[in-house]
Formats: sequence, structure tokens, C-alpha cells
Amino acid sequence: MPKTHEEPILEIVNIHKAFGDRQVLKGVSFQVFAGEMLGLIGPSGCGKSTLLKIICGLLEPDEGEVIKRSDDIGLVFQGSALLNSLTVRDNLAIALERKHYSKAEQDAVIKEKLKLVGLGDFFDAYPTSLSGGQQKRTSFARAIVNDPAIILYDEPTTGLDPVMSTVIEDYMIELGHKLRPASIVVTHQYSTWSRTTDRVILMHAGKIVWEGDPAEGMTSDNPYMKQFAHATREGPMLAGSV
Amino acid sequence: MFWQTMGYIVRLQFDRAETFRQAYMIGVKSFIVVSITALCTGFAMSLQISRELVTFGADTAIGGVVALALIREIGPITAGVMVAGRVGSSIAAELTTMMVTEQIDALKVMRVDPVKFLVAPRYVAALIMMPTLSTYAMFVGLIAGIIIAKSAANVSPDTFLDSVKQTILDRDFSVHYLKSIINATVIIMFSCAIGLNTRGGAEDVGIATTRAIVWTMISIFILNYVVTAVTYAPR
Repeated sequence: MPKTHEEPILEIVNIHKAFGDRQVLKGVSFQVFAGEMLGLIGPSGCGKSTLLKIICGLLEPDEGEVIKRSDDIGLVFQGSALLNSLTVRDNLAIALERKHYSKAEQDAVIKEKLKLVGLGDFFDAYPTSLSGGQQKRTSFARAIVNDPAIILYDEPTTGLDPVMSTVIEDYMIELGHKLRPASIVVTHQYSTWSRTTDRVILMHAGKIVWEGDPAEGMTSDNPYMKQFAHATREGPMLAGSV
Repeated sequence: MFWQTMGYIVRLQFDRAETFRQAYMIGVKSFIVVSITALCTGFAMSLQISRELVTFGADTAIGGVVALALIREIGPITAGVMVAGRVGSSIAAELTTMMVTEQIDALKVMRVDPVKFLVAPRYVAALIMMPTLSTYAMFVGLIAGIIIAKSAANVSPDTFLDSVKQTILDRDFSVHYLKSIINATVIIMFSCAIGLNTRGGAEDVGIATTRAIVWTMISIFILNYVVTAVTYAPR
């Protein structure tokens, strides 16, 4: 549940967003606190990734505002989004550019973060020589290289095999404990949101339709959560679309 | 985008290592294609000019006429078209792929301006390498001219070069370099702008690449004519 006794690191206030005639977000509001890992779940096309792009400033909302207590945001992209022409070291060094570190200082920070995600030996490797899981972990290292107060994960385990998904989820949990950022995990993978998050928000058609503890999700009577958690056809989510 | 790029260049805020890498990609890797096209164009043009001038008994003017065509038009156009085809398309494809795979979004999230990181080094590299390639194309064309003048019109290399010296003015070199710089600007700005403003999937990479080549080449020919018209118009 939200920690009401402290100030949120991130506040989403009444966000609306449309692409042409299609209204993607219809008044979404929530808060995220330091050290909390919030799961943003829902079916494809419900507005999760759009909301994430608005939070990190890649898109402007049509209405509403995003209040951030810190501008340091790390984003782990669904497809890793590493720059293939640069080494792992240089991919992380870009994020450190505005800190004006010396090369030795940069290298020290980068090595520390790579070690944290189990890629200490891949300092000079190119992204194309890494496996999908290693690329994802490099993307994690890049997201945390500035010790951000907010980390956003966009479908961090989508496309990975179950074993690698578990490895990635373990890293997310470990990073949450070590760095204590406010995290938002956008996913529709059951194991990811049930294992890694402290609180879950279910979105459908651009609105929040359920919010609560991930463990409560499986037993919830809310028709949307019941349908999503149990992955059934019966429920309000497919109404009008099948 | 142009003024933004110029702002970074004037303040020397661009990656030197990336600029060298781009100079290699744009310049060094284009030398072979520019050599072949400049050599063939030089051969064909010299053959036509030699044939006509010999008919009128003006074979000593072959060098001057060939050099005028090469310095004023053929050198910049040949290098421009070759670099547009080889490099402009590659830049548009690379940047569009980076857009599609969210690499540009990753830069923005890290608060790195893609214009500073991607466009400025490419533009500096092109500003150095395009005049170099144009000059090189001009010299290769001249060598082709000397060979043809000797073999087809029996004009000695000394006579050919004397004619070149008597005909070419300093202004011709200024216009030559002006055209090279305009070509560099057109190639980099069009291909980067198209690349950085395309979204979608694999199909859009192909569409963006074609669009970049078409617009760049059309612009090179139009601006080449405009510069010629302004600088060599009869008074």
C-alpha cells in the first residue's frame, strides 16, 4: 500500500493523452515512494508504455502533470536500446557525460555497476556479441549508472525464456534492495509483477481499474483483476473487442 | 537542426573520436567509388571534348576545357552524388533503425541531445571530407583527361597542363569548395533529419533511406545549378 507518511518521489496527476482520435490515457493518477516497486500491469494497448514515456519526458501529456522530486531517471527499455556501435563501457559512459568525470572515475563507476549486474567481464564487449539476457542486464547497468532516484522498467522480461526471466527478476529485486529507488515496472508477465512488486496498478482502456498488493490480486473479486490474474476470456476486458 | 548543429560545432561540443570514425566512413571508404566514377567520367568527357576541339584545330585548349568542367561541375557533382548514395543512405538507415529500436529515446532519457551526439560529428566529418573528395575527383578526372588527350588527340601532358594553368582562375576553386560544402550540408542534414523523424518498423527504414537519397540528390543538382547561375551568370 502507498506509504502516506512520507512524500512521494513521483506523482502522476490526472494524465490524459490521445493520439489522433484515440484516447490512450483517461485521467490516470497515482504516487510512487522511495524504495517502492510499483507494478503497472494490464493488457496490450491499455496505455502502460505511453504512461512510462510521459513519466520520463519522451511524450508530453495533453492534460495533467508529472511531479518528480528528482530529475535522475533510469529507464530499462523493452528491447534494451543499446547503441550497437559503442562498447558496453561507452554505452554506460554516455549516461555519465553530464557529470564531467575523468575517464578513470567513469571507468570505476561503470565497472562497479557492471559488477552489480554480473557483467564485470564485459567492459569492452559490443552489444551485438551479448545474449538477450546480457543485453538486458547491460541496459539495467546503464539505467542505474547515475544512481537514479526513479527507475522505470518497460516490459523487462518480455521475450526472455523463463529461466532468464527469473534471473532478470532477481536482479530487479536486488537492485531495489541495494539502491532503494522508486521503481515502476510495466509488464503483463505474471511472474514479474507477482515476484518483484510491492504494489500493483491494473490499467484497462487508459484508466486504473484496480490497485492493491500483488498477493491480493490473485484472490480479488474485482472483475478486471480476476480476469487478468487468471488469464480467462470471461470478464469485462474483451468486451467489444472480440 | 542546422543551426542547432552549428551551435555545437562553434562551441566545440562534439565527440572527436566519433568525428574521426565518421570521417573514415564518409571519406576514406568513399575513395574507391569516387575514383572509379571520376576516372570514367573524366575519360568520357575528355574523349568528347578532344574529338570536337581537334576538328576545329583547337587541340591545345583541351586541357583548359576539361579542367573547367571538372573543377566547376564534375568534381563536386561526382563526389556529392557518390557520397549521397553511399553515405547519405547509410546515415538515414542507421538513424531510422536507432529510432525504431528506441536507441534515440534512450539518449533523450539520459539527457543527451541526439543532434549533439549524432549529427554534429557527422557534419564536421562531412565538412572535412567532401572538399577533399571533390578535389580528389577533380585530380583523377584530370589524369583521365591527360591520358585521353595524349592517346586520342596526341596532346602532350605539358601542353595539356599549360592549357589548364591558363584557363583556371582562383574563383573556380572557390566555387568548387563552396559547392562541396553545400553538398556536405545537404547530405548530412537531409539524411539525419529524415532518420531522426521516422517512426515505425523495418519497412519504414527502407522508405526513409529511399527518401533520403532522392531528396539529397535532387537538392544537390538544384543547388549546384543555383551556385553556377549566381557565380558564372553572364554580366
